[in-house]
Amino acid sequence: MKRLRAVWLGCLLMLCPLLATAVESPRVVALSWEMVEHLLKLGITPVAVAEAPDYRTWVVHPELPDSVPDAGSRNEPNMDLLAQLKPDLILITPLLEDIRPQLQRIAPVVVYGDFTQAQNNRLLQRRNFLDLAWRLGRVEVAQQQLAAMDAHIAGLRRSIAERFAGQPPKVTVVRFASPTAVFIMGPNSMPEHAMQLLGLQPAYPTPASRWGSVQVPVTELGQIKQGVVLYIEPFAQRERLFSTRLWQRMPFVEEGRVAAIRSTWTHGGIFCVENLAVAIAQAMQF
Amino acid sequence: MLRRYLLSLSLLAVLVLLYLQISTPLSLSQQLAQALAPSDDSLENLTFSLAVLPRLLMALLVGAAMGLSGSLLQQLTQNRLVSPMTIGVSSGAWVGLLCLSAVAPTLVTSHGEWAALCGAVLAVGVVLLIAGRDGIAGLPMVLAGMAMNLLLGAVAAAILLIDHQQSRGVSVWGAGDLGQIDWYFVSWLWPKLAVGALLIMFAPRPLALLQLGSRAAQARGLNLWPVLLGLFLSALWLSAVSITAVGLIGFIGLIAPNLARLLGARTPRDELLYSSLVGMLVLLGSDILALLLTNFLGDLVPTGATAALIGAPALLWLLRRKLAAKDLRSLSLMGTSTRGLAVRLRWTLPLMVCLTLLLSLCVNRSLDGWLLEWPSSLVWSLRWPRVLTAVAAGSGLAVAGLLLQRLLRNPLASPDILGITAGAALAVMLILLVAGNNLFWLKAPLAAFSGSMIVLGLLLVLGRRHDYAPGVMVLVGIALGALLNTGLQFCLVKASGDSLALLGWLAGSTYRVSAGQSVGLAVGVALLSVLSLSFQRALTLISMDEGTARSRGLEVRRVRLVLLVLAALLCALVTSLLGPVAFVGLLAPHMAALFGARRVVAQLWLAAVLGGLLMLIADWLGRTMIFPLQVPVGIVASVLCGLYFVYLLVRQRWL
Repeated sequence: MKRLRAVWLGCLLMLCPLLATAVESPRVVALSWEMVEHLLKLGITPVAVAEAPDYRTWVVHPELPDSVPDAGSRNEPNMDLLAQLKPDLILITPLLEDIRPQLQRIAPVVVYGDFTQAQNNRLLQRRNFLDLAWRLGRVEVAQQQLAAMDAHIAGLRRSIAERFAGQPPKVTVVRFASPTAVFIMGPNSMPEHAMQLLGLQPAYPTPASRWGSVQVPVTELGQIKQGVVLYIEPFAQRERLFSTRLWQRMPFVEEGRVAAIRSTWTHGGIFCVENLAVAIAQAMQF
Repeated sequence: MLRRYLLSLSLLAVLVLLYLQISTPLSLSQQLAQALAPSDDSLENLTFSLAVLPRLLMALLVGAAMGLSGSLLQQLTQNRLVSPMTIGVSSGAWVGLLCLSAVAPTLVTSHGEWAALCGAVLAVGVVLLIAGRDGIAGLPMVLAGMAMNLLLGAVAAAILLIDHQQSRGVSVWGAGDLGQIDWYFVSWLWPKLAVGALLIMFAPRPLALLQLGSRAAQARGLNLWPVLLGLFLSALWLSAVSITAVGLIGFIGLIAPNLARLLGARTPRDELLYSSLVGMLVLLGSDILALLLTNFLGDLVPTGATAALIGAPALLWLLRRKLAAKDLRSLSLMGTSTRGLAVRLRWTLPLMVCLTLLLSLCVNRSLDGWLLEWPSSLVWSLRWPRVLTAVAAGSGLAVAGLLLQRLLRNPLASPDILGITAGAALAVMLILLVAGNNLFWLKAPLAAFSGSMIVLGLLLVLGRRHDYAPGVMVLVGIALGALLNTGLQFCLVKASGDSLALLGWLAGSTYRVSAGQSVGLAVGVALLSVLSLSFQRALTLISMDEGTARSRGLEVRRVRLVLLVLAALLCALVTSLLGPVAFVGLLAPHMAALFGARRVVAQLWLAAVLGGLLMLIADWLGRTMIFPLQVPVGIVASVLCGLYFVYLLVRQRWL
């Protein structure tokens, strides 16, 4: 069994660089949004993307050309369509691990890990990105992109440090589920990773969880005595909550330490950390 | 009677104090001061008067409204099993709101209540149409409500799967969260509930007359129908506005009136009044539990979830003692064709099967439009396991449905109505909540199998005590179905990847079935079907009546047990691979009967073929309807067959 796996892995390893050198612009299908982001950053336009229309409304950056077709849902991508497209490579997450045998009949498949409680999600996505670049023979591009991102975030960190004279306030990033319930982004969520890179501390400690957030009643936000609260847009029922006296008497609202973060995806690939960092830095113009 | 009220009121006072103690750090005297003279000086004070107190009032108002509405409905229908939840009010409201949020998300905040109200009234209207005047007092009403809940559940799942991003805003609402941030909803709700006070004043007289029977009432010169209609509508109104304000909180309207009677409420006014009080008690208790769990888990637990946790077992316990199976009447379904199996069918059926197979295999869509071609070997290898699974599942469910209908002499018996599929789904959901979704594809079938076997065991134990009366069997289905629904809402609130995986499985998808599994399923279904054919004589005898069967020397109990196990095995097999698929098992045997197959053997094979055919069509529709997205075959089949079934029932009753 072990040997079989080794042989199989060897085949796959041989196949991939070969694939990268042989084909100038490989035909890649991405069945999860992290990989779409990574592919686009490597300068490769995927031949199909799962839930492409939703990617365009929720993830937005990097921009996915309108010509890229929808490959069906992320849970159940359309096999018929994939077979018709004849891709060179299919990228999936463990969510689709069980249909891998079927997908493998269409094209070679690579699995990239997604969000877990156990490991650092930011480093995981960084590794995924570099690995993808290596497979597609674009390591240089990848390293340039990562260096640019690191420099960009470092610059943001400096400007925040300057603005607050080395004493930036603590930050809590939330997303409203309804006027009465709110998700608080916690350890190992991408917003918290962005905060760490910007040198910002969380003000509301939450336990670690797989998707990095907990849902609590809105009144719980009253516990946040110091620092700023940033909420991720869109929040359709904003008026319903913000017009209440209870909200207006929250310490951070009274002192004007609340701001909106422009719509940004929180469960993306490595560059969603950069997007979040930019959005957080922007939101902190007090 | 006075003692009963005093005791209940003091219990309510204790619960109120407990609730306040949990939800605010203020001391009792501070609370009193803040309640009498609200001040803005600290956030704790403000939270107390703008979140804690409104929530308390909301729990009391909604509890009373649900209890009153349930009691009124039960007295009107003289049916202890009727409640907003069991006759489709709740699911109708939920689907109404989902539809609105899919079509016009911005309108949900401002006008959501009207969508909910329309949905509820429509759903109940259809249920009443199905049950008919004679059925209202009996099991038919509850069965029709159950069928409606199943159908609307499938519709809701379809909307959520296709449109999940936009619907997220309503998922917290759907789970029944009592959380408040000001007095807005309390002041919105209470004037609308004021009608309840009028009801307690004026309803008892017509209700008392109704207990005497409508003939007696007419003899006293009172035409009851307009009054009853008015009362019925006000009961619907009470529950619809409560649902709009706080979302889906089930069971209260069912438990409260039953508890009230159990504790000694007898006269109509006493029942109405005391049911409201019990409703308050139960809902406030559920809310306290929800708060404790929220504090303990650090993650929001909606009150709807805890109400179901308390309600489902309570329902089973309440009914266990009083169901003497006196109500054997059930929904009768269309008379079978009298001429025996139509000769035409021998030609048309094979033709239809071939045509559908060709359609399913050769007609497909691509990005450029429709494709008409013989599948390539690659496409063929991807497609045949799905097609085979769909067909085998359809046949298996049809055979299981037929067995159950014949055994229980109940035309509405089927795996979904009896709760076997709901049990399987609940087990899968529990596994997902407890252990996460890694290895979901492996755990789900195992959990589903044990879930359906547990429900079967429960059915057998409960059933033996009541001699397998249809009423008891169906009640288990109702309790489990409602529990499942609440659990589902609870999962959706979390809005994470886990809930999407669950939703996919609950939709009854053939997507993940491997070639080996599909062959296994087909072989298993074939074996079990053949095995049940060998019991054809017993089936014929039991479905006539018990006495005949005994007099012909049949060991009714043993044979019935064996056949029930066979049916449950079939359901477990199908459900563990596909997830719950509703209505196919119910409809296929009836369609077979409609075509004139009256003898067991003929009905069995015809039902199996028809079940397979239905699933085949559903599978093709699901693949092509909204290409490149796909609708799972289970949802398509449930909605199509459910609509057809409802149509048949209504036509049967009125045309």
